[in-house]
Amino acid sequence: MKKKLKKLVNDFSLGELRTGLKVTSKEFVNKKITVQFPEERTPISPRFRGLHALRRYPNGEERCIACKLCEAVCPANAITIDSEMREDGTRRTTQYDIDLFKCIFCGFCEEACPVDAIVETHIFDYAFESREGSIIDKKALLEIGDKNESAISKAKEEDSKYR
Amino acid sequence: MWQSFVDLTHQLIPWFNGSLADILIIVIKGLALIFPLIIMMAYMTYAERKVIGFMQLRIGPNRVGPFGLLQPFADVFKMLFKEVIFPSKSNIYLFLLAPILAFVPAVAVWAVVPLGEDFYIANIDVSLLYVMAIGSVGVYGIVLAGWASNSKYPLLGALRSTALLISYELVIGFVLVTVVMVASSVNLNTVVESQSGGILNWYWIPLFPMMIVFWIGALVETNRAPFDVVEGESEIVGGTHVEYSGMPFALFFMAEYFNMIFMAMLAVLMFFGGWHSPFEGIPFLEGLFGFVPDLIWLLIKMSFFLFLYFWIRASFPRFRYDQIMRLCWKVFLPLTIVWIFVVALMTQLGIGPWF
Amino acid sequence: MEFTSILFYVFSLFFVGSSLVMITSRNTAKAALWLILTFFSAASLWLLLEAEFLAITLILIYVGAVMVLFMFVIKMLDTEASTLRAQFTRYLPLGIFVSLVVIVQMALVLNAGPFDLETVGLPEQHGPSYSNITAIAQQLYTVYVYPFELAAVLLLIAIIAAITLVHRTQVNSKKQNISEQINVQAKDRMRFASINKDSTKENK
Repeated sequence: MKKKLKKLVNDFSLGELRTGLKVTSKEFVNKKITVQFPEERTPISPRFRGLHALRRYPNGEERCIACKLCEAVCPANAITIDSEMREDGTRRTTQYDIDLFKCIFCGFCEEACPVDAIVETHIFDYAFESREGSIIDKKALLEIGDKNESAISKAKEEDSKYR
Repeated sequence: MWQSFVDLTHQLIPWFNGSLADILIIVIKGLALIFPLIIMMAYMTYAERKVIGFMQLRIGPNRVGPFGLLQPFADVFKMLFKEVIFPSKSNIYLFLLAPILAFVPAVAVWAVVPLGEDFYIANIDVSLLYVMAIGSVGVYGIVLAGWASNSKYPLLGALRSTALLISYELVIGFVLVTVVMVASSVNLNTVVESQSGGILNWYWIPLFPMMIVFWIGALVETNRAPFDVVEGESEIVGGTHVEYSGMPFALFFMAEYFNMIFMAMLAVLMFFGGWHSPFEGIPFLEGLFGFVPDLIWLLIKMSFFLFLYFWIRASFPRFRYDQIMRLCWKVFLPLTIVWIFVVALMTQLGIGPWF
Repeated sequence: MEFTSILFYVFSLFFVGSSLVMITSRNTAKAALWLILTFFSAASLWLLLEAEFLAITLILIYVGAVMVLFMFVIKMLDTEASTLRAQFTRYLPLGIFVSLVVIVQMALVLNAGPFDLETVGLPEQHGPSYSNITAIAQQLYTVYVYPFELAAVLLLIAIIAAITLVHRTQVNSKKQNISEQINVQAKDRMRFASINKDSTKENK
């Protein structure tokens, strides 16, 4: 009986609505947690898989030896590789295209690579201006690698402890 | 033929000079009310986004201008430059008439609102009835928008929304009746005048349940959350607004915000003493706050109610349609009728400290 | 010519014009809208006669409530012009007869008798301080209080009768009991079942 009366009073004094209003008014003055994206960024794991890059050795020689393991392992068939022998007898790629529309960013190419040539960087805020822009060729990939070499090697080093 | 025209103009000129000045004054008064209202409405959208953002631990718009203060203007320009799309096989005249019919009453009600002592556009004898009458005309905007869009979702939204609006008009009407009985006048000026004398003389104390009912009714009448069945985006996409774009949509939007400001104003006028200072009659505080103009008190009280709109929207989930209907017919209507009897008895027998 | 008489002619023009368009309009929704304009012009004319209570009540009740319901009906009904016109000729003689009777009656009433302008005279002009609503209330609650109360009771009976005539319990109604729904407690919905291991095996 007393319980019923209590519920009746609570109902008619809009008890549950008051609880809801109390919650929102408390959050109203709380500290806001929004991250202002272009200026602030959330921390990224060293294993983050973003835009691709091709790396070079410290002496400037490109790492990729056109073994085509990445092409074979790619589940989305996003990688196209063509190769020929260079004058010094080594095998190097002539064409290394990645279609970013096909790519699912699984990171298998990075895992398969025997010389750590193809890697996925932490870049994720990129855009294309035309449909053809989605295919990035060898030159562009090497450029990305050159630009971000320090970040890539740092991420690799951080991650190497857990491999 | 020509002679009769000349005669007519000669007859017209004497009153024309006199009446022209009167008409000009009325037009200027109207514009002086509407422009601040439009600015207020624009910044209400900003305030709403900020308040709701803060309550959801976000920070709201902050990109356009300092603290995002220019955001309303960005929205306005976006709306102005958008293409107006007409649905095929819709009735274009009615389609365009709908937003106008929604907007015009929302502005027209402001003609009778007293903003201070002797500070109004029109002081008509039946202003509370006028408010009800013009407010009920606003329903046509929704009805026509739903019908003229030639689309399923707008029709469904319009049907359930108009059903709600005309049901809740009854409830609000009964609440107005209690206010009229206590103030013994249908004139908004007189209603406010009779509340003079400090916070304890305002009608929110004797009519407290009616105030709650009125506020919930106001939420329904303005189609605001948690009663915004006209555009329940989880069931009927955008309701009546689905087919509207550009300026016609902006008119609906403006009508909604004008109505919100008006309902907040009406709540202040009827239950919170209008432009009266809350410290009237209190010896020390009255002098301390004596310098504050009437209009500021009115705006402060109104802003509280506008904040309440946002607060409620941020707090509660949307009601189901049949639940709102039940609330109207089975809870509020009996409650208001009983309270009318209570008020009638108390005024007649002179019971209570306030009558 | 005074300003008010110009207003009178403007509103009369609107009144007559919109009512003409309303009865000739083929589209039902448009006809309803023209009728609303007619109500508004009538209300304006009443305002010119210093009958502001009547004017606003006309808008409040006819425009705000009755016509909204009309719009509802128009929206729900399939108003095809062909079905409406199907039996036009059949009812034409009756229609002509009824309209003739109405016209004759109007002519008789308006031409002479108790409503003649000379017998009634011009309505009294009151100042701006005149309160129409007070005058009506005084008449209604003193002289005509019994007819007023009777009319109220009659309306109430009509409402109850209308509801009882239309209201039937549907056989396969999916109506939900909202009171039950909102009064539900957490413990009503949650049930602790004791399950031992053997019984789960049996279920498989």
